Amino acid sequence: MADASYLPHEFQYSSARHQAETAIAGMWLFLATEMLFFGALFLSWIYSRHWNQAGFDAGAQQTNLTIGTVNTAILLASSFVYSAGLAFIEIGNKRRLIQCCAVAWMLGFAFLILKFGVEWHGDFHKHLFPGSHFAITGPLSGGAQLFFIFYFVGTALHGLHMIGGLILVGWIILRARRDEFSPGYYTPVAAVGLYWSFVDVVWIVLYPLIYLVGRGP
Amino acid sequence: MTRRLRQLLLAWILLMVLLAIEFGASFIPLGRSARPLVLIPAILMVAAVGTLFMQIGREIAVVRLFAAAGLLWLSILLGLGSLDPLTRTDYHVQAANPK
Amino acid sequence: MSAVVVEAGAVEGSYLTDGVTLRSWLLTTDHKRIALLYLGSITLFFFVGGTAAALIRYNLITPQGMIASAETYNRLFTVHGVVMVWFFLIPAVPVTLGNFIVPLMLGARDLAFPKLNLASWYLFVVAGVVVLCSLFAGGADTGWTFYTPLSSSYARGHVVLTVVGIFIAGFSSIATGLNFIVTIHRLRAPGMTWYRMPVFLWSLYATSVILVLATPVLAMTLLLLGFERIFGIGVFDPALGGDPLLFQHLFWFYSHPAVYVMILPGFGVISEIIPAFSRKRIFGYKFIVWCSVAIAVISFLVWGHHMFVAGTALYSALVFSILSYMVAVPSAIKVFNWIGTMHKGFILFDAPMLYALGFIGLFTIGGLTGLFLAALGADVHLTQTYFVVAHFHYVMVGGMVSAFFAGLHYWWPKITGRIYPEMWGRAGALIIFIGFNLTFFPQFILGYLGMPRRYHSYPPEFEVLNVLSSAGATILAAGYLLPLAYLTWSLFRGERASANPWRATGLEWMTPSPPPTVNFVSTPVVTEGPYAYPAPEIVQHHG
Repeated sequence: MADASYLPHEFQYSSARHQAETAIAGMWLFLATEMLFFGALFLSWIYSRHWNQAGFDAGAQQTNLTIGTVNTAILLASSFVYSAGLAFIEIGNKRRLIQCCAVAWMLGFAFLILKFGVEWHGDFHKHLFPGSHFAITGPLSGGAQLFFIFYFVGTALHGLHMIGGLILVGWIILRARRDEFSPGYYTPVAAVGLYWSFVDVVWIVLYPLIYLVGRGP
Repeated sequence: MTRRLRQLLLAWILLMVLLAIEFGASFIPLGRSARPLVLIPAILMVAAVGTLFMQIGREIAVVRLFAAAGLLWLSILLGLGSLDPLTRTDYHVQAANPK
Repeated sequence: MSAVVVEAGAVEGSYLTDGVTLRSWLLTTDHKRIALLYLGSITLFFFVGGTAAALIRYNLITPQGMIASAETYNRLFTVHGVVMVWFFLIPAVPVTLGNFIVPLMLGARDLAFPKLNLASWYLFVVAGVVVLCSLFAGGADTGWTFYTPLSSSYARGHVVLTVVGIFIAGFSSIATGLNFIVTIHRLRAPGMTWYRMPVFLWSLYATSVILVLATPVLAMTLLLLGFERIFGIGVFDPALGGDPLLFQHLFWFYSHPAVYVMILPGFGVISEIIPAFSRKRIFGYKFIVWCSVAIAVISFLVWGHHMFVAGTALYSALVFSILSYMVAVPSAIKVFNWIGTMHKGFILFDAPMLYALGFIGLFTIGGLTGLFLAALGADVHLTQTYFVVAHFHYVMVGGMVSAFFAGLHYWWPKITGRIYPEMWGRAGALIIFIGFNLTFFPQFILGYLGMPRRYHSYPPEFEVLNVLSSAGATILAAGYLLPLAYLTWSLFRGERASANPWRATGLEWMTPSPPPTVNFVSTPVVTEGPYAYPAPEIVQHHG
């Protein structure tokens, strides 16, 4: 950060830099907690697939690989664009920051539309929500339903985190438009960027667990 | 400035390449039990995002401590948590009323 | 330590008088006020959980059960467990004593994230309201452990509502832990290196590591349980090929480290009190602090010892048994360190010290009986009996609650600016010690003889021991009500406290009692290690 000795800071900090670094450290620690949160879901994937491999994979083969893969590409682009926005405000280009945040936001929104508007809609239509009218019957039914429990819980939780991310990115855009960020102060932009990239990381792990492992020869 | 943008662009290209590799690898005949190996490119993508987008290498040391702790504890959860399924004797029972 | 101007008994300009409106309390970001908000909340929950305990012991006076319904009894022990675990034991020391003392002990003006701190209290209150709603609606009957498939498929009662409350409380825990970790890393006073921090801070750091890494797993576990309860099927459902044992793994992955969340702050409190009341620096400082870290780490590796008879492989059980023996070692080292501190010290028997001495004895008994349970062969006989109940009450109540009271009395002058009446304090400590042992020692014997836990009635041959236990519970209850009375009295009539009434070391004693809002008028500079008590010979000369 540029020399920030003139910048304000909270009374328990010794300088603005001290506070900024601490805020970023706090965000990373929060992300570590999220690793454990989703980690518990991954353990349930391991157990469910271990005890019911054939059925579990049969369920996975019903997922929409096209939408899943396109969505992964969308999120990677969104993370890239937001990081570019952060790079722009580090040198003081507020206009580019706002543009990048807006593009990142729209890509994230597109992800949600594809995921919940199109893909989930299709899943329900194909009777893939576990329960009494589940599409797959017979000995593979239990395992397939276990897969879709993981699928719906995982994508719902990821989606909720995405919605939180969209709110945060939107908040950054509003603050940027009010001229609150500069090369001397962009901590919230960086912190939200970390969160946004992390939500991307969660999806990067969910994608093969949902769309790839159960498929293939 | 353009150096950082170029770095980000290369990172994104790398991620797309890894995604393509992962997608392609899923067509390799691996056998049901080995299918999770398809996650290897995903792990590399996570590392790329963490280092190139999130720039973990440029943060203060305590940040790397937090991230490492998260990863270590995640491996304890998944690793030691897998000990039971790997060692338990499964006395298979036919479901009386399959749903 | 550098000299900071202190004024004996000054109340004007303290954090208590800095704003007198309700709004200034409910919207405060001052860690000291938030600590008091929490203190009020957890005291309330302690008495809710305690009432449930009283009803449990009342029921067990006769073999057929004084309360006719087994279902009601199940709901009682469930509410007792849920409230005591999540709304008293886990928060108690960190959110009250921790929130108040951590910044003071560090030489900081507040925690790293004061607004997050306030948010954590509101989350706690909302969580508590949800659980109380669940209680008044009839509660749940699954036990605080919510094992599947009972909780997921068969239980009557308000499982989802209870679980939502606990879920929200989890976020409060994570927020507190995150705040402490970042604060301890980043807001230490100039000159305070890690090895100059008092043990209490290391203990809270270790506690916070567990809070931030274990609680998220509980959150997901409860979500999955809620899903299964709401939709009728889930990952724990055997009808689908799901694994009910997965729930136990996920639950205990959190809940075992959680018991160390409960006890580690207690260790920290005792580690402050023993040196102060032995007038001697702590014995083996580096051992104690690294043992706290070791406990935090190893605690994550032992959860399978709750599942020895659940159907896991013997190999898996062996691994967890060995690891459980390993986790006991650092705790034992601490006990030796405390005793080593007292050795050749100048012992003062004020109330905090009486509670601390009680802690050492009762915790040691509880800890050793944990090792009995960690032995596979013994556990087959003792599991699900009153032996387990006695074990964890010895560590949690005999240990942790005693430590909480020890710390409360020790830092009471700092927090309130008042001295509590010392003789009543000592009486309370003694009554609690006697009542506690009378309540819970018979339960070791009952467990060994085979009385199962969580049963509302029992075979008649166990009656005498149960009556003894219930009699002890009335004494224990009196012991807990006594501090409520005299501590409240001291708020209005207690003698005003000086900055350092115990003549203890630590930065928190270098500022007035009660402290000003900013804690320190000028940032202290630390030049020596903690517990810099003069050598005992010098103290003897002064009598």
